Amino acid sequence: MKRSALISLLIAASVLIAWPGSALAKVYLDILSPFATRLPIAVPAFKNTGSQPDTENIAAKMAAVIRQDLDLSGFFRVLDASAVSSDPASSGTTVDTIKWDSWTIIGAEALVTGGISVNGSELVAELRLFDAVQRQSIVGKRYFGRAEDARLIAHKFSNEIFKNLAGEQSVFETRIAFEKRSQGTKEISIMDFDGAHAETITEMNSICLSPAWSPDGKKIAFTSYADGNPDLYIKDLASGKTERVSHKKGVNITPAWSPDGRRIALTLSLNNGNSEIYALDVATRDLERLTDDPANDVSPTWSPAGDAIAFVSSRSGSPQIFLLELAGKKVRRITFEGSYNTSPDWSPKGNKIVYAGQQGGTFNIFVINTDGTLFQQLTHNQGRNEDPSWSPDGRFITFSSNRSGKNEIYIMRSDGTGQKKISGGAGEKTNPAWSPFLK
Amino acid sequence: MKRCYTQVLLAVVLVCFLAATGACTKKAVKKDSGLGEETAAQGMKKPGEEGLEEARSGGPKWNDPTPEMAAYFKDISFEYDRVTLSPEAKESLNKLGEWLLKKTSVQVLVEGHCDERGTAEYNLALGERRAHAAKQYLTQLGVNADRISTLSYGKERPIDPGHTEAAWSKNRRDHFLYR
Repeated sequence: MKRSALISLLIAASVLIAWPGSALAKVYLDILSPFATRLPIAVPAFKNTGSQPDTENIAAKMAAVIRQDLDLSGFFRVLDASAVSSDPASSGTTVDTIKWDSWTIIGAEALVTGGISVNGSELVAELRLFDAVQRQSIVGKRYFGRAEDARLIAHKFSNEIFKNLAGEQSVFETRIAFEKRSQGTKEISIMDFDGAHAETITEMNSICLSPAWSPDGKKIAFTSYADGNPDLYIKDLASGKTERVSHKKGVNITPAWSPDGRRIALTLSLNNGNSEIYALDVATRDLERLTDDPANDVSPTWSPAGDAIAFVSSRSGSPQIFLLELAGKKVRRITFEGSYNTSPDWSPKGNKIVYAGQQGGTFNIFVINTDGTLFQQLTHNQGRNEDPSWSPDGRFITFSSNRSGKNEIYIMRSDGTGQKKISGGAGEKTNPAWSPFLK
Repeated sequence: MKRCYTQVLLAVVLVCFLAATGACTKKAVKKDSGLGEETAAQGMKKPGEEGLEEARSGGPKWNDPTPEMAAYFKDISFEYDRVTLSPEAKESLNKLGEWLLKKTSVQVLVEGHCDERGTAEYNLALGERRAHAAKQYLTQLGVNADRISTLSYGKERPIDPGHTEAAWSKNRRDHFLYR
């Protein structure tokens, strides 16, 4: 029975969380359990409650965005609501007007309703989340915005749903930066995590590479050949200002911000062609050398605590992933499978590193514990998969793949399920970097 | 710190002393305050020191070799993920070196390139090393190191867009420009 299923889920959760009695502490989704079942949720098309016609079909589009978000999270089973309410106008959106039996009969344990009104370019959306078993409200929000903010508002409420049911925020308001090639140039672009609102943020008319978000999400570091040498630049997203921060002889490449945002680890080759990793103090421009080996060292990524970096080195002959503890300068190799492992990204929770490994003639995405155990392959037999980057909650990974015939940006859950192309349009897209939480 | 984008040779002297082993013993490298020391930079390098020099900005454009120069400015090729100079590559560099020793006013840019198979970021490091392999060889022939610049494009600029061994082998190259 549906009701008993939800109740047992609640009991399990309250035992785990140990906050019985408080309505606010109800945890509907036990996101820590590997055996969690997907919560059945219905998100019927929203109602137009205003006096103006919804010519852009915003009500239906917003509900579709929320459905997509919840499905992507992997914690929900989004029910087909069309059987229940082919006419959204006839079904209610509040506790008293909702026809509860019709939702119980399809097995919904949670329900999202929405009413919107459009007035010229203005949009008001009243969005609600209900416990469909207890038939009570969990959270409701009224949003004011412009019609073009409809997706944004829907993502905000998806985050609200996730926070209320799972106890933490999800990625629905995050963005992804990437390289986009067009004709002879490559510029840096940003899009929403689901591929919407893509925009090019650099106009260097040159090759731009390796976008890296500052931890506060306000700046992006990248390499550009705009001045004839691969130099390091920082773009301030609010002011639009671009500043060059490293212009050494040789390469100034593969930036990674330290977790406190004060330093950028990068690769310099200086006079001798030997790539080493340095930490650049963003304010003073002082440099500290971090690696010291005659082989290539490149592509650093910081541990979330800022006390170590992982990087690629060819010191054992072929490129492999190594860890460097900054205090003791102790280096240890962590990848031993395969002969070409690159592009490491340290997980936000600190225990895993995702990377791209060459396999036969192609590349796949792998994840490994930082102690070198639990090596796991996430992509299989689908083109060339590279440049993985964690979402800020550690539940997703973005990567580039040419499985569709050209390089596009994909996202997947951190266990490799739910792989989905999110970019589109002209041009090859590579090297995605998932933003931190932006609010 | 203000950056100067004009077409001036910028060289800030940032020197880190190396121990006899070649290890960098001084961790924090002090940043010099600014401009005006560019002429000093070239002469101050001593063996065993590592210069943290600024790259050159602007300057005259690098040109593809003229038809008369083409015999000396030949691309040299590399094995996959390797930076070793083949006997054929050395032969080409011998010709270029001889020519450069006669034409002392000519500067050379060595572009290091890779094929599409490796990882883009790692290939930038590899391309830089390929460019330096040629620079080092030319220097050993007696060409002044200051006349030779290097630039890595990694796999960003293939000359053959194909996905065959023939295309890859053309793309794994050092390409030479002059000014």
